[in-house]
Amino acid sequence: MSWLVLIIAGLFEVVGVTGIQKIAKGKKRTGFIFLIGGFIISFTLLSIAMEAIPLGVAYAVWTGMGTVGSAIVGMIFYNESTDRLRLVFMGMVITAVVGLRLVSP
Amino acid sequence: MNMKWLLVIIAATFEVGWATGLKYANDTLSWTLTAIAIVVSFTLLIKAATSLPTSTVYAVFAGLGTVGTVIVDIVFFNAPINFWMLAFVALLLVGVIGLKMVTGDTSERRARS
Repeated sequence: MSWLVLIIAGLFEVVGVTGIQKIAKGKKRTGFIFLIGGFIISFTLLSIAMEAIPLGVAYAVWTGMGTVGSAIVGMIFYNESTDRLRLVFMGMVITAVVGLRLVSP
Repeated sequence: MNMKWLLVIIAATFEVGWATGLKYANDTLSWTLTAIAIVVSFTLLIKAATSLPTSTVYAVFAGLGTVGTVIVDIVFFNAPINFWMLAFVALLLVGVIGLKMVTGDTSERRARS
C-alpha cells in the first residue's frame, strides 16, 4: 500500500510541474491551482509513504515517477518526441522502481 | 566553474533537507523548517534554471538530490540499504538524468523552430 501511495505521490508532482508551465504561459489562475494543489498532495502522500519506506529509496522513486510522468504527459498532450532513447530511459526508471519494490524491506 | 552552479548545489542540499524532514519531522519546529526548505529549494532551482541550461540544471539537481538522500539515509539513519537497492537507485538515476537531458534538447529544438 505504501508503494502505491508513493507512486501516486510522484504522479501528483507532475500536476504541480504542469502548473508551473501554465503560469509560464500566462494562465495564472489555473496554473496556481495546479501548482499548489499538486505539490501539497504530492508532499503529503510522500510523507505518508515514507513512514514505511526508507528515505533514500522513497525519494528516488518519487523523483523517478515524477520525471516519467512528465515525459508521458509531454508525449500525449504536448506532442513531445517519442524517440526510442526516451522510451529506453523511461523503461529504465520503471524497471528500477519495480526492482526497488522487490528488494526493499 | 560558473558561480550559478553553486545555486544548484545549494538547492539540492535544501532538497535533501526537506526530504529528510518529510520522513523525520515530528514537531512544529521541524515541520516549519521542512516547509522553509521546500520553498528555498524550489526558489533557488528556478533561479538557477533561468540563467543556466535548463535541462542540465534539472538533471544535475535530480542526481544530487537522489544521491544526497541515500547518503544521508545511510550515514545518519543507518538505513537498511543493500547492494541491489543501490544498483536499482543507480539504474533509476541513469533513466531520470537521461530523460531530463533528452527532453530538454527536444523542447529547445522545437522552441527555436
